[in-house]
Amino acid sequence: MTKIVVVTSGKGGVGKTTTSASFASGLAMRGHKTVVIDFDVGLRNLDLIMGVERRVVYDLINVVQKEANLSQALIRDKQLENLYILAASQTRDKESLTQEGVQRVLEELKAMDFAYIVCDSPAGIETGAMMAMHFADEALVVTNPEVSSVRDSDRILGMLSSKTQRAIDAREPIREHLLITRYNPHRVQGGQMLSLEDINDILRIPLIGVIPESEVVLEASNQGLPAIRIKGADVSQAYDDVIGRFLGETIPMRFTEAPKKSFFRRIFSSAN
Amino acid sequence: MNRTTTSPFDIKSATIQGLSLILRSIKLDVIEGDLAARVANAGDLFTNAPVLINVSALTAEGTADKLELTRLVNLLRRHTMRAVGIVGATGLLLKQAQALGLVEEPDVQPRVRNKAPQAAPEPEPAPVAEAAPQAPGTTPPVVTDLFADAPASASPSTPTPAEAAVPQAQAQEPPRDAATGRPAPTMVIDRPLRSGQRVYARGGDLVVLGVVSHGAEVIADGNIHVYGPLRGRAIAGATGDVEARIFAVAMEPELISIAGTYRTTDKPLADTVRGKPAQARLDGDKMLIEPLKN
Repeated sequence: MTKIVVVTSGKGGVGKTTTSASFASGLAMRGHKTVVIDFDVGLRNLDLIMGVERRVVYDLINVVQKEANLSQALIRDKQLENLYILAASQTRDKESLTQEGVQRVLEELKAMDFAYIVCDSPAGIETGAMMAMHFADEALVVTNPEVSSVRDSDRILGMLSSKTQRAIDAREPIREHLLITRYNPHRVQGGQMLSLEDINDILRIPLIGVIPESEVVLEASNQGLPAIRIKGADVSQAYDDVIGRFLGETIPMRFTEAPKKSFFRRIFSSAN
Repeated sequence: MNRTTTSPFDIKSATIQGLSLILRSIKLDVIEGDLAARVANAGDLFTNAPVLINVSALTAEGTADKLELTRLVNLLRRHTMRAVGIVGATGLLLKQAQALGLVEEPDVQPRVRNKAPQAAPEPEPAPVAEAAPQAPGTTPPVVTDLFADAPASASPSTPTPAEAAVPQAQAQEPPRDAATGRPAPTMVIDRPLRSGQRVYARGGDLVVLGVVSHGAEVIADGNIHVYGPLRGRAIAGATGDVEARIFAVAMEPELISIAGTYRTTDKPLADTVRGKPAQARLDGDKMLIEPLKN
C-alpha cells in the first residue's frame, strides 16, 4: 500500500523543503521506494536542495497537463536508487495544478509500486498547498518555535481535518505528526523561543521529532545535498530519528535540552 | 478546487439577517407614517432588508383577517424592505400570504427570555421593527459563511434545500428546529477547533470537547460550553438571548460576546479567571466573568 505523506506548515521559511528532501531521502536510505513531489509551482526549490536542478526536463505540470508522461518527468537520484524526484515548474501558473490531474499522477505513482509519496507543500493556503494535502494519508506539520508559525500550523491542522479527501469521504482522519525545526534550547531557556511544552499545549498532536537549529542545513542546501546525508551532524541524526519514529520505532527525543554545564565547569564542580 | 464536481451547483444551509415587523394594529395609514419616520432615521438598516410579518397579536385579537396584506407588502417595498415570510397567520390571511409568495414561519417565542411580555400600548398602536442584535465586529460572522470552515461533521443536520431556501429573520430566530418544531438539539463538536474554523449552533447550545484555538470562532444562539481551553472567539446568545452563558475549563479567549455585549481581552482578564474554569454571563449591560466554584 502506497502512503502519501504531505509536508506542510502554512508559514513559509520554516523548513518544509529541507524536511521533504531529508525525509524522502531517509525513507529511501532504509530501502523504501520513495518519490518526492514539489508542489511549489512557480517557486521550485526542491530540485536545488536535492541537487538535481540541471536534470529537470519535464515537471509535475507537464505531467498534469499530459504534455509528458510520468516516466519522462521522474528524476532518479544518483546516489539513492530508491529515490525519485518530481520537480515543480518554475514558469507555469499554479492554477494549472488541477485536482483531477494531481489525482491521476498519484494513481500512476501508486501503480509503479512506490511505498511512499512525499508531497512538499508550498507555503500559504492557496491552490498549491491545498493540492499537496488533498490526497494525503499522513501529514508532517513543520513548525518553528515561534508564535506565528505555531498559529499557522494550527490553521493548517484545521484544513487537514476538514478540506482533504479523507475528511470529505469521512474516512479515518489524516495521521498528523508535529515536527519542530530550528529548535534552539538556549533560546528557549532565554524565553526568546517557545518551548516544546508551549507548542504542545497549543497544537496537541504527537511530536515526531525536534530538529536543532544548525548551520549544517544551510551548508547542505548550498551543496545540493539533503541535510540527512551530512555525516555526523546533529541535524542528520535528528532527521534519522524522525524516519525511525515514522516507521514505528521508539526513539527518545534528542537535542531538546541545552547542555547543562561546560566541560570546565564540570571539572571545577567535581573538584569541590 | 471543485473541478471534480460534476453538479452545476451546490446547496448549502444559509442564514440571512432580517427584520421582524410585529404588528399591533391593522391601521396601515398610521403604520406607514410611523415607518417612514423610522426608516428616515435608520440609515441603511432597512435597505433591502427581508422582513417577517408577525401577525400573532392580530390573530389573537381576531382582527388579522381585516389586514390588507397586499397593501402592506407594497408599503414595505416602497420603504425598501421586502416581505419574505409571515408569522402567526391563519385561515384566509395565511392563504393570501401564500399567494403573495410569503413563507409561513412557525410562531414561537423568540429566545429572549428575560423580556417581559409587552402589553399592547394603549393610546397609539404602532408597529415595532426590531433589528437583530448588533455588536461591532461580532454580528457579520454570524450571518456570513457560516459553515465554510466548519469540520465536516460539525453540523448536526444536513442542510436541506428547504432550509437553504427559507430566509430566517434572525431577530426572531426560535430556539427550535424550524423544520420539525422540536427544540433545537445541542451541537457537540468532539474535536479541537483550529484557527480559522468557525462553528455556529443555530437555535441551541454548543458543546466543544477540546481546545478552541486562537483564531477559531464558536457561535451559538444559546450557551457555549468548552471542555478545554477557550482561546478563540466565543459568541453566545447570537440572536439576542441575554441569559446565554459561556463556560470554559480554561478561560483565555480573544473575545467573548453575549447577546451583542462583548469584551476583548486586550485588557487581560482577572487572575482569578484567566486560564481557569470560569463562566461569562450578563448582568444587565455588564459582562461578568466569574470563576467556577466546586
